[in-house]
Amino acid sequence: MRMEGTFEVGAPRERVWRCITDPTLMVACIPGCEEIAPVDARRYRARVLVEVGPVKARFNLVVEVVEELPFERVASVTRGEEGTRASILSAENMVILAEIGPALTEVRYSSDVSVTGRLAKYGLGMMKKRVDRLGVEFAERFRERIAAGATSA
Amino acid sequence: MSALAHLHRPATIEEAVRLLAAGDGERVRLLAGGATLVAMMNAELVDPAELVSLAAIAELRGIRALADGGLRIGAMTRHRETAAEARLAGAAAVLREAAARIANPVVRNMGTIGGSIAFADPAADYPPALVAADAAVEIAGRRGRRQVPAREFFVDWFATALAPGEMVTAVLLAPPAPGRGSYDKLCRVSGDFAIASVALSVAWRDGACERVGLAVGGCGPRPLHLDEADALLRSGRLGEAAARRAGELLAAAADPLEDVRASAAYRRRVIPRMVERAVAQARAQLEANR
Repeated sequence: MRMEGTFEVGAPRERVWRCITDPTLMVACIPGCEEIAPVDARRYRARVLVEVGPVKARFNLVVEVVEELPFERVASVTRGEEGTRASILSAENMVILAEIGPALTEVRYSSDVSVTGRLAKYGLGMMKKRVDRLGVEFAERFRERIAAGATSA
Repeated sequence: MSALAHLHRPATIEEAVRLLAAGDGERVRLLAGGATLVAMMNAELVDPAELVSLAAIAELRGIRALADGGLRIGAMTRHRETAAEARLAGAAAVLREAAARIANPVVRNMGTIGGSIAFADPAADYPPALVAADAAVEIAGRRGRRQVPAREFFVDWFATALAPGEMVTAVLLAPPAPGRGSYDKLCRVSGDFAIASVALSVAWRDGACERVGLAVGGCGPRPLHLDEADALLRSGRLGEAAARRAGELLAAAADPLEDVRASAAYRRRVIPRMVERAVAQARAQLEANR
């Protein structure tokens, strides 16, 4: 299942870059994300709650940065599974930042996600709709944070 | 697979709500007919520790007439009973026809209207029928009862206006009016979920349309309904031009899925055809009555 999207942020590219590479800020922006903790220089551990109707799934994920070109792009892979239940998730992700103006940045993201196990029984059609909406929600929260003056170390 | 869930059998709605409120929405679940919940438990999609069976609550059973002539369909009313209910006539027949198209006889003997709408699968048969009929949903919670119009009850894929700790207790219908109610479902095989469905409820008097409710199922996160389409059909007296325009409006507003049943584009294409057919049938009946 491929998901992708584009949104604009009213901030310089360097600042947007610092924000998207800041785990603390990302926890607040990713819908359902409960925790992100660095494992080592390239890997993060994350816990994400996905709710689809009456079904709740808590994924323990490891995100590994596989390619990083500062201020421009970051590629990562995500792997993980639900605690005691049988859903396995893997994804290849790409985020690209493009400078549109001195204080305007375009964020383009794409992800090839595969889910197997109990959650896959819901059917890909609805999963994709859900995920597309999560992308929109992420963009909204991210823009709000930036507008509120979020910076990062 | 975990241990068997503990089963409660409360005798009153208040007791069921109390048991439900003790959980977090995941640990304790209400068991109505079990047609969906038990299948989901078998598929390990849900794994409740406690089940609250609603089978022993008399108030939830059956269909009865209200003082104003309206109908109250208890949440535990089986699809088979609703499909056979003679009082669901005229404009209200849309609900009877929808019930008759649900799945197969086994599921219709088991499944309940309350369970079905609380689950809120947008490809299910009741949601568009209730929206077309402009029914209301009665809900019980710790703070008593409240009513929500069906048009506000379904809010998203598998999501309703039910707050945590609340349950559906009944579906309420206005007094049956002369007219026509119809439910048409396009599906791959008999009993499947809808690729698209059209629910139409028209009340008429002295040859004039008094109320029109049109809703499309299976083509978005919740039943698709537009006041504008209803108004067009009413003022256009179910005419061909009004039907065409209403179908176009609904198709444009649809947000269909791509799934094994059909592509999104296909779903958008069949909506106007199904709307025009349902309206033409209602028009023919209205003219025959004149």
